[in-house]
Amino acid sequence: MYWKEFMHQCSEIGIGSLGIVVIISIFMGAVSALQTAYQLTTPIIPKETIAQIVRDTVILEFSPTLVCIVLAGVVGSKIASELGNMRVSEQIDALEIMGVNTKTYLVLPKILASLVVIPMLVIISAVLGVWGGRLAGQFAGILSTTQYDRGLLENFMPYNVTFALIKAYTFAFLISSVSSYSGYYVEGGALEIGRASTKSVVASCILILFSDYLLAALLL
Amino acid sequence: MVINDVTAKMEPGKCNLIIGASGSGKTVLMKCMVGLLAPDSGAIMYDGVDFIKMNGEEKKEVRKQIGMLFQGSALFDSLNVEKNVMFPLNMFTEDSHKKKLDRVNEVLERVQLKGANKKFPAELSGGMKKRVGIARAIVLNPKYLFCDEPNSGLDPQTSIVIDKLIQELTREYKTTTIVNTHDMNSVMEIGDHIIYMYQGLKEWEGNNKEIIFSKNQRLNDFIFASEFLRDAKDMRMLEETGKIPNERDMEEITDKSAPPLIPPEE
Repeated sequence: MYWKEFMHQCSEIGIGSLGIVVIISIFMGAVSALQTAYQLTTPIIPKETIAQIVRDTVILEFSPTLVCIVLAGVVGSKIASELGNMRVSEQIDALEIMGVNTKTYLVLPKILASLVVIPMLVIISAVLGVWGGRLAGQFAGILSTTQYDRGLLENFMPYNVTFALIKAYTFAFLISSVSSYSGYYVEGGALEIGRASTKSVVASCILILFSDYLLAALLL
Repeated sequence: MVINDVTAKMEPGKCNLIIGASGSGKTVLMKCMVGLLAPDSGAIMYDGVDFIKMNGEEKKEVRKQIGMLFQGSALFDSLNVEKNVMFPLNMFTEDSHKKKLDRVNEVLERVQLKGANKKFPAELSGGMKKRVGIARAIVLNPKYLFCDEPNSGLDPQTSIVIDKLIQELTREYKTTTIVNTHDMNSVMEIGDHIIYMYQGLKEWEGNNKEIIFSKNQRLNDFIFASEFLRDAKDMRMLEETGKIPNERDMEEITDKSAPPLIPPEE
């Protein structure tokens, strides 16, 4: 029963957010490539540098932080409103009476699923972001794909990927736990569910930004 | 403090009704009885054992014997009717899927919802939701059936159907049924044992025969709040005692065009 719920949550969080993550990531990479090229006016700096900047900003910041802020809205509000609705409509009470540990059955699978799926989404986002930059560079005639690929391989630090994953795990935990807490302890009616949902998104975003700074200060 | 100093024994195999105005503590009392709320002091006894002092396993055993119908039915939105009703079976039994499905179909047929297996709660009317809620509550053949305001939000005819169903199930399965209600039709129809709550206190205890003749002013104010029910009381007193109940005009009381207190069976 718990495994089934965990798999259901993986599908809800992962597949449910994949579309928006794909769109955001491609455009995020494309725009970074164009804006970096716009700022590098001197011919002394080689074109490959654009690929390096896009790669590092996407891996270090855009994919983990920006995507997780979007996921705080998409996934966080969904979790908070789902649990809030269950609380208000007495579905949680019904489960309690049946002897189900509702925190284990409803909250834990959401947190575990987020910890599994959100880092995967961040990895997909990083790959698509870098690819988006490549496409934009090629279509705008800024740099060739060969130059871009060469730039990607120069000065690559694998630790950046580890750092991005640490951020992804931290943000995944924050998004799922904050929104679960807001939804699980909701009291009142439909209005309070909406408030809890908004509150969870705002709190998650602030905590993501705060922990983003903290992690950067500690680990870089 | 919501409820205070309430001592009541629920009669086994009967419909026990907890009545009272909104905010009188009926739902809190029921939530304490099923273990959703823990009282600050006192005991909730099931077969002589205090539920509050039971350990996890003992509580699970008691919970197996409890079925509950919630005010808003509390069906799981993401599950269809079949899975909703099957949920307690999945929780408490190791039976094969076929056996569980047979039991689900049996109880759905019992609540006259045969064939509604694949419908989702959003596709059901209020009365159907209540019946699915009842099916889920009785699927494990519970010893205790709790119903929190089973008639709320239902039209009078559907309310009567639900009341009859609760009464029939109580007789059929010999469950100890506890119903929270402020529906006077239910009180008259199924109230084998009635507890009247007033501002968190137990104010009166009796049955549906005695309630009509109660001398408790607060209870009388509550049950005879409407002119219609006052007339019904006068009629019943006239039938049973042969005396003119009060100074009101007998022509008014014996108005034949007035609808009966309990609508006739269909």
